[in-house]
Amino acid sequence: MAQQPLIHYHVRWRPSGHQPGASHGLVAGIGDQLRSVVLLRDNPDPRRLDLRASVRDPFENIWVRDFNLNSALKVIVLVDTSASMGYVGKVNRMHVAQEVASQLALSAYRSGDAFGLFAAGEVINKQCMLPPKANRGAWLWVNHHFSKLTPQGKHADGLLQAVPYLPQKRCLVFVVSDFRWPVGQLKLLLKKLSHHDVVPVMLQDPAEMDALPKSGIAILRDVETGAGQFVWMRAGLQKQMQDLRAQHIRNVEEASRLYGNKPFVVKGAFDTALLTKYFMERST
Amino acid sequence: MNALHFFKPELLWLLPLALLPMISYGVKQFNFPGLEDWPKDLLSDWLRWGVRAIAALTLVSLIIAAAAPFTEGGTVTKVGEGAEIVVVLDRSGSMSENLQSDNQSINAKPVSKIEAARKVLLKFMEQRPADTFGLVAFNAAPISVAPLSADRELAKAAIKSAESNSSGFTALNRALAMGLDYFNGRPFTATRLIMLVSDGDAVIEPADREILKNQFKQYRAKLIWVYVHAGVEKNILDSVIAGDNEIITNAQKQEVEINQNVAMNRLFEELDIPYQAFEVNSEAGLQQAVAEIGRATNKPTRYEYRLPRQDYAIYFYVLTMLLLGALFWLKQIEIKAWKA
Repeated sequence: MAQQPLIHYHVRWRPSGHQPGASHGLVAGIGDQLRSVVLLRDNPDPRRLDLRASVRDPFENIWVRDFNLNSALKVIVLVDTSASMGYVGKVNRMHVAQEVASQLALSAYRSGDAFGLFAAGEVINKQCMLPPKANRGAWLWVNHHFSKLTPQGKHADGLLQAVPYLPQKRCLVFVVSDFRWPVGQLKLLLKKLSHHDVVPVMLQDPAEMDALPKSGIAILRDVETGAGQFVWMRAGLQKQMQDLRAQHIRNVEEASRLYGNKPFVVKGAFDTALLTKYFMERST
Repeated sequence: MNALHFFKPELLWLLPLALLPMISYGVKQFNFPGLEDWPKDLLSDWLRWGVRAIAALTLVSLIIAAAAPFTEGGTVTKVGEGAEIVVVLDRSGSMSENLQSDNQSINAKPVSKIEAARKVLLKFMEQRPADTFGLVAFNAAPISVAPLSADRELAKAAIKSAESNSSGFTALNRALAMGLDYFNGRPFTATRLIMLVSDGDAVIEPADREILKNQFKQYRAKLIWVYVHAGVEKNILDSVIAGDNEIITNAQKQEVEINQNVAMNRLFEELDIPYQAFEVNSEAGLQQAVAEIGRATNKPTRYEYRLPRQDYAIYFYVLTMLLLGALFWLKQIEIKAWKA
């Protein structure tokens, strides 16, 4: 794993957990956001004494400040391991997925957040399940398990089976996939995950989009269905193909927007800085 | 008659091999994630079947070409005016003697007998374009110079190259036999003629006479003897002639010659074959004789001509080459690596 800057994900909602972390939480605790000013007897912590409020009180009560706890998030990564994820174009798609997951694991640990991972092809892969915990070695676990993963299966419906394993409270969920799914499948998954904060991470390869051969003949074989397609690449077909791939991205964006999300598109290799930028854009 | 035949029909059992392209394209394959939204491209689909069809056609064409299809040519009846003439040319030493010239002027160069014969024979050939010529030259042994063929240049060159050369006796019987042998295996399509151009000087053994007679009968050939002789005022000093290398007096020689030639004439007459003799002692006389021969042999002959069979393999090979060219082009435009 190449050394990359950490991912500074930022969410606009308040996690409700009691575990201290980096996000503004919902429960009272030690944080940097003033929640209320309460009587000392309600919150017997003289360190948070609010002098101004105490002096102004004609009844001479002693007031202390109460803060929102800076709580930890739960970061969950759902990885599609259907056959199309095994595509090797300019980059190995599975390696990109591994990079995304391990960088997220590292960043989550550094932010004090819990990290969990579920992988699924046609069915959920029970050998590759990591329940969300603050886990220092999560990224090593990711690298170890991904090296043993063989992408297979014609669809990724197993991801739906992973939903019950997720925490009931709101988490930050990354869905790592190429989203070459039937229409409606993504919407169904997003609907099931609608009480979470979902970031669809869309993996794309330049070889299937921007860097198509300009001319020549070849046979393309669908890695999922095994169907062959004889193609005679020409400028026209290349344009058509690029348009279709752009349309595919738009379709995923469209489906995500219905549930208030915006996909993060990884073109080629994964760059953590771009994901940080994505979160910064999303927060504004 | 015009049905298609195959030289090696068993090779046609290989034709099912042409279905091989239906199993595999031979085009490089690439994995691609998700083809379900690949645009429907008519041109690609056509080319897909085109590649298969071209590959299959190439195999079919190659196999058919290897099986060598042909049609029998059949026969046509042709009417020919020509004759098949085998010139049996004497190139013995005596043929180098000069002919007496009609033109008595000083400038006139003396012409040897063989030279005159050559000249006239060439002219004769030019006048008779429909004839087939062959040439046997002989002195001590016959030499097959030019076989009977329509190749005029060959016959002409052969006649031009005939030079007299003394080397002992004259093998007339063997020369005639060789000349007759030229007709062997040829269909009888035209008047057959053995044109012996000689100045005599030869004897035929009684044993050979019978053989010659039978052969003339067998080949239905005619014999014409163009007897070239130098007249009476012969060069006395020219003593080493055909025959033995002895000094013979002029008178003796003359007598022997005349005797020999008369004997030969009688002999040919006795052979009981169509025979004509022309005595030529000058260039003009030779021409006259040749003209008469022409008249005698100018009868039209009707003969069956077998057309050669028509071979079609070459067309299939050409087609194969073209199709291979197309396949080669397709292989050239094949994508070797899936990248821009």
